[in-house]
Amino acid sequence: MTSSRSPGGRGPAPPLSRAQRSGVLRLAAGGRADAAVQQQVLRALLDAGSSCAPADVIAALDRRVGSCDDIGLTRVGARLRALHATLIVAGDDDYPPHLWDAWPELGAPLWLFSTGARPPAIRRPAVAVVGTRRPSTDGLRTATALGAALAEAGVTVVSGMARGIDQAAHRGALDGGGTTIAVLGTGLGVDYPARSGDLRLAVAASGALLSELPPGAGPRPWQFLARNRIISGLAIATVVVEGREHSGALQTARLAGGQGRDVWAVPGSINAPASAAPLALLRDGAIPLTGIDDFVTAISGSATSTGGRSTPDVAWQLSADATTLLDLLGAVPASTDALMAASTLPAHAVLAGVAELVDRGAGVMTPHGVVRS
Amino acid sequence: MSAGLPGFTVIGATGAAGRQAGDRVRAALTATGVRLPSRKILASLAPADVPTSGARFDLALCIALLVRLGVVPASGVSGCAFLGELALDGTIRAVSGVLPAAAHLAEHGAGRLFVADGNAAEAALVSALDSVPVRDLVELIEICNGRMAPRPTRQTTPAAGPPVSDLADVRGQAEARRALEIAAAGAHHMLLLGPPGCGKSMLAARLVGVLPPLTELQALELTAIRSVAGLLAGSGPTALDRTPPLRAPHHATTAAALLGGGTGIAKPGEISLASHGVLFMDELFEWPRRLLDALREPLEQGHVRIARSRATVRYPATFQLVCAANPCPCGGAGGCECADAQVWAYRRRLSGPLADRIDLAPRLRALRAHQLVDPVPVESTVTVAGRVATARAAALDRWAVLNRAAPPTKVRATARRDALHILGRAVEAGVLSGRGFDRALRVARTCADLAGEDVVASAHVHEALAHRAALRDVRAAR
Repeated sequence: MTSSRSPGGRGPAPPLSRAQRSGVLRLAAGGRADAAVQQQVLRALLDAGSSCAPADVIAALDRRVGSCDDIGLTRVGARLRALHATLIVAGDDDYPPHLWDAWPELGAPLWLFSTGARPPAIRRPAVAVVGTRRPSTDGLRTATALGAALAEAGVTVVSGMARGIDQAAHRGALDGGGTTIAVLGTGLGVDYPARSGDLRLAVAASGALLSELPPGAGPRPWQFLARNRIISGLAIATVVVEGREHSGALQTARLAGGQGRDVWAVPGSINAPASAAPLALLRDGAIPLTGIDDFVTAISGSATSTGGRSTPDVAWQLSADATTLLDLLGAVPASTDALMAASTLPAHAVLAGVAELVDRGAGVMTPHGVVRS
Repeated sequence: MSAGLPGFTVIGATGAAGRQAGDRVRAALTATGVRLPSRKILASLAPADVPTSGARFDLALCIALLVRLGVVPASGVSGCAFLGELALDGTIRAVSGVLPAAAHLAEHGAGRLFVADGNAAEAALVSALDSVPVRDLVELIEICNGRMAPRPTRQTTPAAGPPVSDLADVRGQAEARRALEIAAAGAHHMLLLGPPGCGKSMLAARLVGVLPPLTELQALELTAIRSVAGLLAGSGPTALDRTPPLRAPHHATTAAALLGGGTGIAKPGEISLASHGVLFMDELFEWPRRLLDALREPLEQGHVRIARSRATVRYPATFQLVCAANPCPCGGAGGCECADAQVWAYRRRLSGPLADRIDLAPRLRALRAHQLVDPVPVESTVTVAGRVATARAAALDRWAVLNRAAPPTKVRATARRDALHILGRAVEAGVLSGRGFDRALRVARTCADLAGEDVVASAHVHEALAHRAALRDVRAAR
């Protein structure tokens, strides 16, 4: 996890002077500096060394990258203060060392806007839990349980605040009383995804909200792809819970692999469209996540979790039909017709049995059928 | 009759045909050979503010005059009613709307109804009334004077209904077949969720076959509605149709056609024509919100009230609702890839007044090839109808109505404690609304009735919950 591991390695991020910082803020507030421009700026700063005024370096690049004028800068500054947000620049104490280490070829963000109650949280090792915005009920449950188990083991949970798996992971970590960080694909001041305001506040209170975009930046597709490199870079391991064929989670995982980080994938059914991404990753050598406890043990080095998938012992209080049906359930939704065929029970007995399993917490009803809990 | 210019005036009649009644009566009596005095004759249709139309009061006006003239004794017409139009030559013509009039007369104590030949069969459907067919005024006068016996009404034989399609034709779909049986036994409203072409309309049509035949009262009411709607062609019905109706209006139907309407006096709409039967609404999400909301009153009260310029009418509308919709945004045919949250969001569009009244939401699957080639034999309509009849009898015996309308406190009293606790847990878990509690319990009551049990046990409640699992009263999972 150190720069010595990568061939083009470099030392820790260079501390920047006050003047350099204000130049960086000007670039950051402009909101048009992508990763490539950031690299250019940093390289120019490093190459110039102490012989040249950093403000001049940035000013020289200004024309290319369109940084912010004084009026815009004042406005962004006021907005950041209102959000209680700070600018973290590479080289600052608060800049996550893992993130810097992830980019031997200078791909790490030069700056991050951050808001949150516990800024040091982002310096600690973290695990990314990511997945599709259109999860199955089972995927949601897995993400929540993972978030909770990691939180209970004292591991910070990083994700992207997207609907579905991401939000479930954040919620799980909050439920587990732990720390969680969201890396946004929009500015910190934008209400996105819609109706996620409460969750964003809770995440900020537990850990931090991070974004490399100026506070007012609205959602644009490429921003989310660029954001994924920060999620994978912050984490020592990335878990993909569910994702479709061309999922953003798949990209996050591939970035993590390229950064030399562990990639875990939750195995799913070959018939479930939402399991396409994890299965593809497993084929390419990702580590199968076969149990939450095992995973957390491997990550944290100590088995402290109780949030695993331990099915409550309900067999003793189930009817005979329900017991028969419980043995037939799995993670792929089962229809009434399929259960009838497999169990040879009549329709009304299958319906009653399935409802009994749901009632007793041994099954979960999804729109496509019932799954085991 | 009074002094004045000789003539026949009818007052209180609205419409040209009514006002001309005097001329028709005069001509018909003259043709029959009854001499009218050269005096002014005045007849009044009271109350004057009730709109009348057509010539159906001709016969009654004529009889009143004949009694006044002493041609017919008053004793010969007591307890009798007369309905028909007079031709100028004295023959009696058939009129529309005889059945509702006959039913009303029977209710109000009339013993005999004289009608034209063409109306005799229709009037004879009301068994409490002695319907007498009369060809012309001569025959009428002879019968009223007791000089001639009334001709017997043509014997009506119950018409064999059109062959009802059999439930055995439906392949697979065990969940929906079971839901249909419960719906039939408890008169519960049902929503069929399934991809196009999986047999939703087929099932809805077969529900009618599983229902018991209509009672005489129900059949009379329905025939009367059809008569008012002008659906009984020609001379009217010859036998009482006891088959429960199935009406399947298209979603482009107007409010007037669905609920009843038209200028002047509203005609009954589809929901009234579906009385004591099934109203099938396919493609539920295509229906305008406004129409779905308008169904609330009839669903709750069993009738619909329509005000138009000339009258406010109330038509019966005690129908059983069967809706159909795709299970998810993609339609669900050929393997659905919709995410769970999308499907819940889609089904949540059915919120509001209608969702609150649906108790059964079976999911139908697209048919597999082997089901088409090698269908597994399934129960026929006759078998299921037998169980349904027994269960309905049990419910009617217990609280005189079907389980859909059973009083909640009484239903609770027939359930075991642990069964009620299951529903309580479902409410707590957020999968059942408070209102859904009693609705699910009524369905459980029907399940128990189908099993022939007096007490609602946990298995029955579990099944009831399973049947509404696709509805999700409350947003439970994120």
